[in-house]
Amino acid sequence: MVRRRSREEDDTEINITPMLDIVFIMLIFFIVTTSFVTEPGIDPRRPQAETAQEKTRANVLIAISSTGQIWMNKQPIALSDVRIRVENAVAENPESSAVIIADEEAGSGVLIDLMDQIRLGGIGSISIAAEPGSG
Amino acid sequence: MRRRARRSSDEAEINITPMLDIVFIMLIFFIVTTSFVSEFGVDVNRPTNMPVEQEEQSEIIAVRIDENDQIFVQERLVDVRAVRANIETGLAAQPQAAVVIVADRLAAAGLVVRVVDQARVAGAARVSLAAREP
Repeated sequence: MVRRRSREEDDTEINITPMLDIVFIMLIFFIVTTSFVTEPGIDPRRPQAETAQEKTRANVLIAISSTGQIWMNKQPIALSDVRIRVENAVAENPESSAVIIADEEAGSGVLIDLMDQIRLGGIGSISIAAEPGSG
Repeated sequence: MRRRARRSSDEAEINITPMLDIVFIMLIFFIVTTSFVSEFGVDVNRPTNMPVEQEEQSEIIAVRIDENDQIFVQERLVDVRAVRANIETGLAAQPQAAVVIVADRLAAAGLVVRVVDQARVAGAARVSLAAREP
């Protein structure tokens, strides 16, 4: 940091007030926008959909691989464990919303079972991930 | 950073250096942990108890997807590209109709999403997804 000799009359100090303002604004911005999203750990091929909307507030991401394996929080989990994990997420943030990232080739049976489990866990707003574009 | 009183020796100023340290550490923490994940998604409604839904809903456009990924709109085999036109025709006849997609367990999830999307594009206000009983 900058130090000036305080003995002399003509010394100048750096005014740090504007920097502080900016730092605080950045701090508030990051606090507000941070949502602790746990990545599912795999990146399946999403189907294309024209009506796909951006889900910025989604914090529960669950992926289904092409073989029907469910991934959550970077590890494969059983269908029966989904509900308890969703309940934990709801306990942390009651306004949680879920996005299921299902592979195009995954069976729809797993998808529907998963939706049931999420709903039983207490999340009402569920959407299925898609790529925006002309399907 | 540090300011000392120059004029009078007994003047005291609040030392903001520790606060600044904490603020910077918080700032760095939030910058590092923030991940701007935004998924694009299609909303789906899944009736939890199908029979109750169906009693209320007299007008239904049923879309069935079988295990070979064949799509039937009102029990007529159609291509995925023709789903939209078929649902539009159905909606013209019954404007209040709800679209119910009944997918086989083995049907591809991608196809289900595409059919939901096409139903939305066709103008259906209510699109729901149902599972056939095992």
